[in-house]
Amino acid sequence: MTRKQDKPLTERLLKIAGWIYLFLGFGFLLLPIFSLVLFSFENSRLPSLPWTGWTLKWYEFLLSDGRLLEALKNSLIVSPLAAAAATVIGFFASYALNRFEFLGRQILSVMLIVPILIPPLIMGVAFLGLLSRINLQGQLLSVFLTHVVILIPTAIALITIRLAQMPKDIEQAAWNLGATEWQALFKVVLPWSIPGIAGAWLLSFTFSFDEFVISWFVSGFQPTLPVAIYSFMAFNLDPSLNAIGTIIFAISVLLLIGVELLLIPLLIESRASTKQNVT
Amino acid sequence: MNALRPKVLTLYQTKAPNEASSLRLICLAPAVLYDSFLFLLPLLFLLWIGFWTVDNYRPVPGFSLSNYIDIFQQFFSRSRYAYAIIQSLWVSSTAILGALLFCYPLAMAIAFVVPVRYQRLAILLAIAPFWSSYILRLYAWQMLLNKEGIINSFLKGIHLTKHPIEVVFTQVGTRIGLIHYLAPIMILILYLALQNIDRTLISAAKNLGATSWQVFWRVLLPLTRTGIVYSAVFGMIISLGDVLSGIILGGGTGKSIFGSLPLFATMILNEYAASTNLPRTSALATILIFIMILVLIAGTKLSHAEQ
Repeated sequence: MTRKQDKPLTERLLKIAGWIYLFLGFGFLLLPIFSLVLFSFENSRLPSLPWTGWTLKWYEFLLSDGRLLEALKNSLIVSPLAAAAATVIGFFASYALNRFEFLGRQILSVMLIVPILIPPLIMGVAFLGLLSRINLQGQLLSVFLTHVVILIPTAIALITIRLAQMPKDIEQAAWNLGATEWQALFKVVLPWSIPGIAGAWLLSFTFSFDEFVISWFVSGFQPTLPVAIYSFMAFNLDPSLNAIGTIIFAISVLLLIGVELLLIPLLIESRASTKQNVT
Repeated sequence: MNALRPKVLTLYQTKAPNEASSLRLICLAPAVLYDSFLFLLPLLFLLWIGFWTVDNYRPVPGFSLSNYIDIFQQFFSRSRYAYAIIQSLWVSSTAILGALLFCYPLAMAIAFVVPVRYQRLAILLAIAPFWSSYILRLYAWQMLLNKEGIINSFLKGIHLTKHPIEVVFTQVGTRIGLIHYLAPIMILILYLALQNIDRTLISAAKNLGATSWQVFWRVLLPLTRTGIVYSAVFGMIISLGDVLSGIILGGGTGKSIFGSLPLFATMILNEYAASTNLPRTSALATILIFIMILVLIAGTKLSHAEQ
């Protein structure tokens, strides 16, 4: 009997401790983002307390300076395109890996994931070595070409999750009804994969948009946003960085909503379906 | 029904397209070709360029050991690469330990304390930092932690400290940046590992009289070991290759118990920025690859040994 009375008490205490820890943990995780946004509106050049007043001047600085905005433009050109290219290449590859049994399939699917496991610092040096030999270094095109390499694994991983959930019958049904393989691929498999493809594009875009080291090595005089922020930080530390950070944060909130709608259901469904398969 | 089955099967077989091999080839070709030319080729090139020399600021193809000889001669003097490697291993491994100690309880709290229908929201919040820019998060930490920064001015304001706490430009700062960077992914991995535990095992342990501590130590921890090892090895590789946290929060040569030494990754980046000597940088990167392979081997050995 004593145990039965004991247990709820310790359990309740553990619960309270859990909530306190959650509160502190999320505080740690979200504090930098929160203060980045907040202090983009703070009057003083050196962000500290007490609060000295609200202002929008750092946004004006950002607009008039132009360096960071130029880089933001570069990033907004390169990242969506690299993500799109990686997603298209990744879709076809995951389709083939998912549908066909062939010698070396396992090895190939591992090989196609490997690029994301190699640290970007090493890939950056490696890319620069090759690209500078063929005079493709120092431009946005170089960033595009190299980012696609590290994004293909992301795309393959996510699209494969979605394709694995597809009942094989529906493709076979399409063939039986007279569709060619290509028709079945584009009219049955592709529509089914849309959530995976969209999730893959979003995640790839985020990776590319945030990628620093490879871009630092290969982008030259057309820096992407993280590279421009890096060199900006070496000379001036002012809340213009908070302002651009807030703008990026707004973009990522939009992305997050996309992820919430596409990616998380995808992951949770796959877990649910694997559990069903087990039982 | 059984009589129908063979018929259906043959129907599938006859109707299944037989041009399979060409479709397979066309679907796989882009990925395979792309990765061959822009992934394998650069990596092989990297290994090769390490043996090139530089003449008049231009890389000269060849096969010379001069880069490696020079690097190993400076292992303990001048550039002191060995010290940087030790600093890297020390900072990364302690950062990973810190990250695990921070993330595991948080993943546990999300899995067991947060009501099921809010767990998705909690996970979404936990991985939110991951979607914002890493370099700007580090800038934000610098703004929070520096000598006259937000936290120090706050602590001074409420008269808690007289002297500012110095975190920025030490390796403690580097670790905070790394932990904050790795936490979202590690929390997600550990949460999924905890979610996969069969809940009946936990209640069975409790019914058999296990205390909460025993449930944690004997049920949760062993069953999530794979998740822990994965996230630790993964975090270690990322930390060893990370340059930003060591530069922005560690100030390049942050202080640790080993002294004010740069991380090896930082060194590679800064050397290239200063010299643009690609063959030498390639040789240094090759050494980093070997260190990482050693870490991977050690990690897998460790996880097997524990079993």
